[in-house]
Amino acid sequence: MKTRKLLAVFMALMMVMAVFAGCAGKVTEEESEGGSKDAPKKFALFMTHMSNAFTIELSDAVKAQAAELGVDLTVNDAAQDVAKQISQIETAVNQGVDGIIIEPVSVDGIMPGVKMAKDAGVTVVIVNQQISDPSAANAYVGVSNADGGEMEMTKAAEDIGGAGNVAFLYGPMGSDAQLGRLEGYQRVLDKNPDIKVAFESTAEWDTAKALSLVENWLQANKDLKAIVAQNDGMALGALKAIEDAKLQDSIKVYGLDATPDALQAVKDGRLAATVSQSTTAQGTEAMKACFAIASGETVDAEILVDFTLITKDNVDEFLK
Amino acid sequence: MSERLGVERTRWKNNVREFGILIAFVAIVAVLMIISPDAFAQPKNLIGIVKQASINGILACGMMFVILSDGIDLSVGSTVALAGVMAAHFAHPDTYPVIIPILIGILVGLAVGLLNGIGVAFGGIPPFIITLATMTAVRGVALIASGGSPVYNLSDTFNGIASGFIPGTIVPILAVYFLLIILFSGFVLAKTVFGRRIYTIGGNEVAAKVSGINVKRMRLSVYAISGVLAGFAGVLLASRTISGSPTAGQGYELDAIAAVIIGGVSMSGGAGKWYGTLIGALLLAVLANGLDILNVSSNYQMVIKGAIIAIAVLVDIRGKSRNE
Repeated sequence: MKTRKLLAVFMALMMVMAVFAGCAGKVTEEESEGGSKDAPKKFALFMTHMSNAFTIELSDAVKAQAAELGVDLTVNDAAQDVAKQISQIETAVNQGVDGIIIEPVSVDGIMPGVKMAKDAGVTVVIVNQQISDPSAANAYVGVSNADGGEMEMTKAAEDIGGAGNVAFLYGPMGSDAQLGRLEGYQRVLDKNPDIKVAFESTAEWDTAKALSLVENWLQANKDLKAIVAQNDGMALGALKAIEDAKLQDSIKVYGLDATPDALQAVKDGRLAATVSQSTTAQGTEAMKACFAIASGETVDAEILVDFTLITKDNVDEFLK
Repeated sequence: MSERLGVERTRWKNNVREFGILIAFVAIVAVLMIISPDAFAQPKNLIGIVKQASINGILACGMMFVILSDGIDLSVGSTVALAGVMAAHFAHPDTYPVIIPILIGILVGLAVGLLNGIGVAFGGIPPFIITLATMTAVRGVALIASGGSPVYNLSDTFNGIASGFIPGTIVPILAVYFLLIILFSGFVLAKTVFGRRIYTIGGNEVAAKVSGINVKRMRLSVYAISGVLAGFAGVLLASRTISGSPTAGQGYELDAIAAVIIGGVSMSGGAGKWYGTLIGALLLAVLANGLDILNVSSNYQMVIKGAIIAIAVLVDIRGKSRNE
């Protein structure tokens, strides 16, 4: 009996909420239509997570650009959960924003959120990772993972003279960054048939996992010349294993991301090179593009920011 | 006749439960030694495996206390991260003596452990729930305390805590911490009143209360032990990776639980031996090491690890149903 009453109250609440939600949706549409004459004011940023140097730098860049443009920006953290990211987008759209910038948790899974926002007349800019159907958003600002991987691997191939055994440390298998960067590695391998991949495995972006993995690989005496990691965290783990085994003179390590600790390691001559995703530029360009489109201007549907190779020669420009 | 057969079968089943994991461990090591004589079977590698088992093994020691008392501690992975980050903050060169970051890490672990223990013992919150809550919150605190990026540039003395060897040998110092901790845990569990009481609580809480055991204080203690060991493991991980990372230790709680379960400790508490946990932790490290050396894809490694956990629990359940 009690349960049934509770259920009835719950159902009633749900219906009330549905009615409100419907109203809110309509209001937003009217607002955004009416508001398009004035300069856009309200923006929202949706980050996959806020737990590493990369995501913090990216969101800081968007925030700084928003402040420069004099617009309001709310930042949402999806904690790597695509369902949560969609809910956050829905909430923001219902509250009436002019434009949103999404760093998608999943390039497929985010599509419903993108469509919902676009249908409500909100400008949508995707940053860092392209979604599976680019036409659903107004613009994409980011990098090509394959180009970044190619830049890192090209440097490694040059350093080892185009021949010898190498090992790859991957991000989570099947993630866009893992597949994209690997594609870039493969392009270089195709041009350098004398480079052999002796080991390849995921360490899931994790320093400690990469450290154990490389310790194990070193036991197999495969005469490695280089270890190429898909991010700096894993590169630093690999570097520690190599230094512990006193092999730093024979095995070079390469990373990607240009995190502060990796830059320091490049400066100290321990890490051979890292690649900057030009994170700040991505954030700045994304905010600029979102504001421009919401103001009625047209911009390119795909804005690619260049990678930068960082070695001991130019590391000082990046160390803050 | 059939009765005697039954008794023999029971004894055999018990032996399987007790020594099955040891037999499996020896078999796996033997197979890997045959497949990879020049890499896996080298003494340096074999002792290196103990080093790689160490951080998970130390967490598994704490987890063993908790599981024996019929609890669970999901917060240890996050505690590793927070303790590592906090220790790293106090471990920059030329700041504090190395004992300070070590103590800070351990105190962080103790604080999380006490929070869990108070929740379980005095708040009556189910262990799974309270430690799930602290797992989430503590990870958040680790991210806040580090600003989201790893804390690096640590002193050589701090970095030396987990690196290096016992002078003049090939025994890694990390392995020594692990072996000392598991031996001490084994002593406490098997030879002290405190240890036997943990088994009693896990086996039958009502009986424990009736016999005058202060169950609440015992529960508080096991979570505190788990927290302290997780804090120490966090210090070691930060030292080993020469940085305190807020995202470190993700999923470590599950590896620690896996080591304990593979080692034959009953998930419902009250039964299991310390050396089971030792073998459980070593088995996981042996598999990872051997399969990495053989360049087996990590996707297959996950399948193999899952299968071993399932088989271990199956043996546990079958052994128990025989006993009843």
